[in-house]
Amino acid sequence: MIKEILHKLFLPCSEATLLMEKRNAQSISAKENRMLSMHLMICKWCRMYKQKLEILDKVFKKTFSEKETEINEFEIQDFKNKMIDKLNF
Amino acid sequence: MKRALYVLSNKEDAQDVVQEVFLAAYSGYDSFEGKSNPLTWLMAILNRKVADFYRKKYKSEPNIRLDHFFDETGSWKNNDVLNDWNVSGDGDELLDSADFNKTLEECIQELPARWKILVKMYYIEEKKAPEVSQELNISTTNLWKILQRSRMQLRECLEFNWFSRS
Repeated sequence: MIKEILHKLFLPCSEATLLMEKRNAQSISAKENRMLSMHLMICKWCRMYKQKLEILDKVFKKTFSEKETEINEFEIQDFKNKMIDKLNF
Repeated sequence: MKRALYVLSNKEDAQDVVQEVFLAAYSGYDSFEGKSNPLTWLMAILNRKVADFYRKKYKSEPNIRLDHFFDETGSWKNNDVLNDWNVSGDGDELLDSADFNKTLEECIQELPARWKILVKMYYIEEKKAPEVSQELNISTTNLWKILQRSRMQLRECLEFNWFSRS
């Protein structure tokens, strides 16, 4: 009950988690930032989610900037052939 | 090519896009001033071509629903978000584990293609939200929503498939 009232007064969690994305990208306004901070003070669910989001952010930063997918030699050759056809050499 | 395939997760699409990159590079070679590494130059063309591809493919407004996670008042439906992950440091340990990487990859593959490309582009472009939303031709509001929704789903997937098991 208290949770519901607080969420109506401040922010619902569905909005708070959206603001976390904006804060994470440093695109949050001062007002939104205040609202999010207040929400985090009263909501342990979102506090926990925020911690996990920070871990995910670090993991993604590493994994998305480095990862590539393996391709076998045959596929590369196939691709080169198609490319040559297209260029009409 | 590997990078294209990783971002697009679809062989035919990746081949088409990489062909376009080489054709663009071939016709635009004169404008390449040799100031940067050729690979960097090709990667910049690749990012542009992936963005073109995305814009062409996904013209309609995205449909993003959060009712799987939140009830009608906007509160969390499940308490599994409260589980402790017991991660120390900055996540390095996690990424050192081949099993974790595999689980992470599987969870990423479960995202709809449209979100998957966007999230990858967002990180490849170092989280420059205005640039990414402009390139992919979506509003920043929708960019936040897709990021939020994708991350919610990845969090839940890892919760069930990794953290609650280890």
